[in-house]
Order: sequence, then structure tokens, then C-alpha cells
Amino acid sequence: MAEQEEFTDINGNPIQFSCQDFSPFCREFTVSSSKLSLLRVLMFTCTVWLLAYTGFYLTQNTAVLSAAIMVTLLGMLLHIHFVKVDHETLLIVGSLGVQLSSAYASGRESTTFIEMSRIKDIVINEAIHMQRIIYYLCILLKDHTEPDGVSSVVPLFQSSKPRLNCLVQVYRSCQEIIGQTP
Amino acid sequence: MGADSDAGETPAVPWRKVLYERQPFPDNYVDRRFLEELRRNIRVRQYSYWSVVREAGLVSQQLSCVALFLTLWSYMEQGNVAPSTLLCTGLGCSVLGYALYEALGGEGCRERTRCADLQSAAVFMAFTFGFSPVLKTLTESVSTDTVYAMSAGMLTAHLVFFPYTQPSLPGSLSLNAALFASVCLASRLPGTLHTFAMLSCGLLIFALWPCLLQRLRRAAQWTFPWAAGTVCVCGVGGVWTLWPVGAVLLFLALIVLTLVCPLLLVRLQRHKDNIHGPWDEAEIREDLSRFLS
Amino acid sequence: MVLKIFFPRCCNMADSGLLVGRWIPGQDSAVVLAVIHYPFIPGQVKKYLSELHSQTQVDLTILGSWSFSKDSQKDMDEFLKDLSTIFSHSRWLQLSREPGKKGFACEVVHKNGHAAGDEEHEIIFVHYDQRKVMLSQLHPVQENGADVKSSELRAVFHTVSQSEPLFLFDKYDDGPLKLTHWQSDGREASILVELIKQASVPVCMLLTLLVGYRTEQFQTVFSTSKATTHMEFMRKANIFVSFFVDTALGLLLISWLYRENRISYLANTLVPAADHVAKELQNLLEWLMGAPAGLKMNRALDEVLGKFFLYHIHLWISYIRLMSPFIEMILWYVGLSACLGLTFALSVLSDIVALLTFHIYCFYVYGARLYCLKIYGLSSLWRLFRGKKWNVLRQRVDSCSYDLDQLFLGTLLFTILLFLLPTTALYYLVFTLLRLVVVTFQGLIHLSVDFINSFPLFALGLRICRPYRLAEGVKFCVLHEEPGAPLHLLMECYRTETSSCSSRDSWLTLVKKLFVGELIYPWRQKSTKTD
Repeated sequence: MAEQEEFTDINGNPIQFSCQDFSPFCREFTVSSSKLSLLRVLMFTCTVWLLAYTGFYLTQNTAVLSAAIMVTLLGMLLHIHFVKVDHETLLIVGSLGVQLSSAYASGRESTTFIEMSRIKDIVINEAIHMQRIIYYLCILLKDHTEPDGVSSVVPLFQSSKPRLNCLVQVYRSCQEIIGQTP
Repeated sequence: MGADSDAGETPAVPWRKVLYERQPFPDNYVDRRFLEELRRNIRVRQYSYWSVVREAGLVSQQLSCVALFLTLWSYMEQGNVAPSTLLCTGLGCSVLGYALYEALGGEGCRERTRCADLQSAAVFMAFTFGFSPVLKTLTESVSTDTVYAMSAGMLTAHLVFFPYTQPSLPGSLSLNAALFASVCLASRLPGTLHTFAMLSCGLLIFALWPCLLQRLRRAAQWTFPWAAGTVCVCGVGGVWTLWPVGAVLLFLALIVLTLVCPLLLVRLQRHKDNIHGPWDEAEIREDLSRFLS
Repeated sequence: MVLKIFFPRCCNMADSGLLVGRWIPGQDSAVVLAVIHYPFIPGQVKKYLSELHSQTQVDLTILGSWSFSKDSQKDMDEFLKDLSTIFSHSRWLQLSREPGKKGFACEVVHKNGHAAGDEEHEIIFVHYDQRKVMLSQLHPVQENGADVKSSELRAVFHTVSQSEPLFLFDKYDDGPLKLTHWQSDGREASILVELIKQASVPVCMLLTLLVGYRTEQFQTVFSTSKATTHMEFMRKANIFVSFFVDTALGLLLISWLYRENRISYLANTLVPAADHVAKELQNLLEWLMGAPAGLKMNRALDEVLGKFFLYHIHLWISYIRLMSPFIEMILWYVGLSACLGLTFALSVLSDIVALLTFHIYCFYVYGARLYCLKIYGLSSLWRLFRGKKWNVLRQRVDSCSYDLDQLFLGTLLFTILLFLLPTTALYYLVFTLLRLVVVTFQGLIHLSVDFINSFPLFALGLRICRPYRLAEGVKFCVLHEEPGAPLHLLMECYRTETSSCSSRDSWLTLVKKLFVGELIYPWRQKSTKTD
């Protein structure tokens, strides 16, 4: 059911990848990125506090310190609510559609469902990102006006960015399901 | 002209300098006749020294006019000349000048009637007289240095933009600059009548005198050097009574302008070396102004 | 092909019977809408279906049979087989559920009569909440016929929401048929709403006569024609709710204002305040007439302008004195207008402010006109100064030869205007700043009026209480999988982003949790997927 292997994202951080087979035409892939590291949180807090203390030392104004508390709390809240993605899920159901959902660290979930009739194909794309080439999975959407055209591209696993070996597994199973249901 | 090297093959088709035909030559090909069309100094004119001096006299004359105006202003400011004196002199001069103007322009076709001239004169008088109290208080709160700097700049602009060419165009920018400067200076004078007199004087020197001088040059060529010379002498003399060093400087400047600069021009003309040829950009010779209007 | 069956969650525990629903044309999927229980007479069922068809324009059919019973499984099977011969069909579904098990068993019988056993595993059950799907208004996003056909889910939504008359059939009605489906609870309330709507038309006419500015809104709200689209309905409801909130706030204001003699207190503070403003303006003008901030202005013009404005202030003060005995009465009557709504009172307040700062407006207009005149004059005279002029026909600046007297006069005026510009500009600047303060205040009032009038309170209320009414999309999750059994998916409607906590726990469950004493957290709780 769930096969555990060593996977990393494009930056080399370890990620967890699991694949659940519900039935021959329904699979769920979950990519969980690493948890919020305590060290980074600590470093962020320390930096803000050092700055705040410098400000306090220079101005002798206690408002600086309270502002620092607010900034730290608010920054963390915003980070876990809008930036930090805990895991991303791809649920593919043959002849019904594909559902992408990403869960943020705060529990917020955003979901998109794409019907099978709109999907043209799922492919692995390569892109030049800064000084390196990265691979990503994406869904090609059909263009209603043109039979062979692609109206838009929906990238998958945008925040966890797994490496090619992980993508290939997802790609193979997806193609299997898409191939079953023309 | 690297493309010239393969000219020894002598292809069958002779090369033509046209772009509308396909020819068996590279695009940058030119043949031996290329340099035959080179010409030098086609538009150089040979000046005679004295004619240049005569033309340069106009510049010196204008400079002297500015000097004369400034002299009159400083007399007025110190109170050495009563405004009524200046007004009377100005009136006399303008009547004389107008008579001369009419006498010289008699044979040509007149574009303005005497009535229009009179009307213009009345407008000048009325507005200057009416506005002189306003002008008097206009620059009260502005510092004197600012006013002087502004006037100096404006007079320089007047000299720079003055239409010195022979069929002179009405140079409105130079005239306006001079008028602006005279308004600025006149507003520093002690009384309302002073302001009025100064403005009229400025009008006489900067607006009316160039008209008369132009008419003089056109109608009686021989009078121009004398007139210019008189103005120069008057200017230098006026400055001498106030500030001798300045007069010497002005005199030197006039000498340089009138005699040395033309000499330089004539001497340097020999070193001129312009080349013209087919590489020049196209030049439209025909007068297209009738299409543009 | 995979067969998809959209099954309503309310029928999970229904007694055995017939499945009423629709085959989605062009797709291999069926929507189950209701279950008709035994006993029934086939003729009546057919009649009922044709009635529904004429009402809804949806071709409802009997999809198959549903069995949820403990006893005599064998007899039932035979009976169901017999049923399939009665109703015309191309495929006949036989769904059955055993009490202990979660999953359904499904058998598809084709017209020729044999069960297609090998296709059994290729069936997906998509469970949906009938009420949510019907009310979510997801189907007519951009309605054009082709789109509805192309999108399968949209067709499903369309079918469910179109068959609303089916759901009006009450469980407790004494009729020939017994149905299980989502029960719309609140028919009495909707009748009440209809009555109110009918009664409100004459009231609305009266109000329209009284208050002009709400005419359009009232027309929108009280038009007796039913809101056809979701957008229109939302707009109506929003306007309605905001109107009520507005009036309620206005009445609150009145109840506050007319107690403890607050009106006279207000009037007594208003007149000295206006007086004070006039005094301050006078001081400002005197300051401007000196050498403000060390600027050197034209003394003569400065004095003329200053005296002119001072005279205005003098006029203003006498006007205020004249008005002061009546102000309390005016305020009393104006305050009554708050019963028409807080926005009305705010608008009146804005007008009062405009009236009380009329002198500032006057000053501003004078300053602006003078300044504008100067700027225009200067720009055109600057062109004359350079010997150019504005060519009106060609819309460009041309060079032009002026006459001597034109040049002279132009330069004279140019000089005068140039030296007088700083004085005028300063007056203009000061009065513009004052005017800006007033305009900002009035703008804030107008902003709040707009805010009250257009704030989507109804939508906000829906968002909090019934988020599925404003659904944005659908979300599937796998309910449970058993090897060999058909796959069960749960379809939910969601609004933008859902926290998995709030989607699972409605407000009711939250209150329940609070009541029981369970721990609640703002973040997600790790819990196993529930049925």
C-alpha cells in the first residue's frame, strides 16, 4: 500500500511520499514536506529580539519590545497560515477527475478539483529555475475551442517540489489510470 | 572598401548604382568610380575683411545699446537725471527718428498706416503710464540682488537671441527679454514717473531703434557705419562718466568684436576642408514650403 | 467504462424501494434523487414521474431498486428482478446494503436480462448531500447549453437543483407514494415570506413616495418577480438585510439622541464651535497678511486679498449669529430623519458640515479661480514671450510673428503676473488645505454611508452559518475501501479554503462540543476519517 523510500525535494531536504491504492482506478498520492524546523523558528525569533533590543538600547522606548513580540507572533501566524505547506495530496479517480489539495501548517486546506473531461494529459515538465534545471509534474487542460490545443497548465506539488524519482512514480500510476479510461 | 578587391574578375554585367535590381555583386560593392564624385569645400564662401567688419558692427552697436540703457538707468537711480528730462529727450528722439523713418521708407510700399502707428504709440503710453504704479510696487519684496541677476540674464538673452542676419526676422524672444529686464530694472527706481520714463526709454532703445537701423541699412547703406559708430561712441562715453574702468573694458570688447573677430574668421577660412560625396545623406533641394502650408 | 452513481446521503438508511433518478446523457453516470418505498402501484409511480417531468423538465426515471433489509434476501431478489420487467430501462441497478456493513453491493442488469457480474468492481459511489448540492448554486456558473452538456458534474448539479419539486413532496403527506429524500423543513416560513412579499408592495409604494433615494433599491427588493439567478437573489437579500440594519441603527441613534436633552447640548456646542473656526480663520488670515513663514509676498496684493477674505469672515460670523436661535429646532427636526436610517442621518450630517464650512468653500473657490486664471495667463504669455502661439486648429504650438505693441503689452502683463504669482499661490495653497480637510471629513462620512449600504451582510451571514450556499467547488474524499466492493467517495461543497476542522465541525457540533466539555482547538485535529 504505502511504500516508504528515501525521497528528497529539489533542495535536498527529506520529504515523505506515500501512495494509497483505493481501487485500480482511484489512487491518492501524498507528499509531506519536512516539519517546521525548531532551529529556524528559534533563529528568526532571536534575530527579531536582538534587533528589538538594539532598538530599545538606542531609544529607551519600551514600545519597541512590545512591537517585537507582536511582529514575532504575527509573522509566525502568517507563516503557518499562508506560507508553510504541510502536505500536498493528489487524488486521481478514473473517469471522474483529479483533486489537488494542499494543507497548510495551520490546518487550512485549499482544494481544486479538475474534471476528467477537461484533462488532456499529465506530463513531467522541465524548467530552468535560476541556475539549475528542475522537473515538475503538470496537468495539461484541454482547450474547448481547439481540439489539440492546451488551454493552460496546472503544476502539481508546487510547494514541496519533489525530485524526479518521486515524480516518475506518480506519473506512471497516473498514466495507468488515465490510460484505462479514455 | 574591402569589396573592391574582387573587381579584377570583371563580370559580364556592368555594375549599376541602383537598389531596385538584383545584381551579381555583394551589397557593399562599389566600383572604381566611387571616389570620382568626391568634392571639397563646395559651400565655402570667401569673405572680404571689411564687409565682415561692417556686419560685425551691428553686434557691437547692440552691445553699446545695452550699455547706454544701463547708463541711463544708473543715472536715473542716482537721481542725476530728472525723469522729465529723459522723457522730453526721448520724445524728441522718437519724433526725429519717426520723421527719418518715414522719409527713408517713402518709396516702398507701406504695410502700416500712420494712424496705426499713432494708435500703437498711444497704447504704449497709456499702458506704461497706467501700470507704472503697479510696476513700482511689483518687486518691492524681492531682493535687489535677485532683480539684478534676473536683469543681467535677460539682457544677455537679448544679446544672444537678437536677429543679426541681414533680412532680419522680428526676434520676439530677444525683444521680450529686453523688455522684461527693463521692467525689472525700472521697478527699482524711486518714483512712479521714473518707472514710466525708464520703460519708455527701454522701448525706444530696444524696440524702435533696431527698426530704424534696419530701415537705414536698407535705404541708405553708407549711413549704417556712421550710425553704428555713433552709438558705440555714445555707449563708451556714457559708461566713462560713471565708471572709467568699465568704459575701457567695453571699448576693448567692441574692438575685439568689430576688428579682431572678423580677422580671425577670414584667416581661419583658409583651413576649412569639407568633403562631400555620394555617402552624404540625401538632400532635398526643391523648395517644399508650398506643400507644407 | 466506470459507472458512477451519485447517491444522496439521506437515503443511506432508507427502507427498501425503488430508486428515482436520472441517467446523465452522454456520460456513464446516474444520479439517485429519492427512494420510493414499498408498497406502491407501478401505475401511480409512472404517473407521478410524468407529472414531475412536466414540472421540472428533467426526465426522471426509475433507475433500479434499493434493498436494505435483514430478512428473506432471496425472495426480495426475485421480486426485484420482476420489477425490472415492469419499468422500461436500458440498465437496471440493484443496490443492496446489509445492516452490519458499510459498503453497498451493486448489480447491473442489462436489458437482455443477465447480470454483468464482471463489471461489478468498476462502480464508484459518490455520496452527496442533497440539500447542499441543491443550494450551492454551482451549476449555472456561466450558463450556456454546450457547457452543461460537456461537464458531467455540472449536469449532476443541474439535475439535483432542477428537481426541487420532488423534494417538496412531504414524507408525512398522505399520498399513494412514500419517498425518502432530503426534507425541506421550513415550508411554513417560506409561505410567511411570500405573504410578506405580497403585502409589502403597497408599503413599498408608500415608502417610494416618501423617500426618493432608495427607490431603486426598493424596486429591486420588492419586485414580486422571483429572483431568477443566484446573483440576483444574493443582491436582493443583501440589500434587504443592509436596509434593515440601517434602519435599526438609525432608530438606535434616535433613542440615544432624544434622551437626556442631548439635542440642546449639541446645539449649544455647535455654535461656539463654528464661531471658534471663524476666529481661527481670522487669525490665519492675519498671519498671511504679514510675512507668513518669512516669505516675501507682494504687499499690496496681500493686503487686498486679506481684507477681502476678512470681510467674508465678518459676513459669516453675522450669519451664524443670526442663525443661532434656530439651530436647536433645526437639529431637532433633522434628528427625526434618522428614523429613515443611519445613512440618511449621516448624509444630513455631511450636508450640515458643508453648510457650516461654507466660508472655507468660498475662500477656496476664490483662491482657485484666481490661481487658475494666473496659471493660464502665464502659460499663454510664456508662449508669447518665446514668440509662439497655440494653434487651435492644429492643436499644437506654432511660431508666430507678433506686433510690437502686442509684444510689449504681453511682456508687461507677463512680468506682473509672474511677480504676483507667489502671493496668489500661497493663498490658494492655504485654502486648498483647509478645503481638503473638510472634503476628507465629508468623504469619510460618504464612505461610511456607502459601506452601510453596500456591505454584503447577508452573504457574510451565509458564509458563517451556511458556507455551502456560497460554494466554490467540490471536494472528494474516499470514504472507505474494501477489496472487491465498489469504491465510495464523499462529495462535499466547499467555500474557498476550508480548514479541515471547520468543514468537519459545523457550528452546531462546536456548540455541542462546548456544551459537553470537549476540548476545542482553532487548528486541525488529527482524527481519522469518519463515515
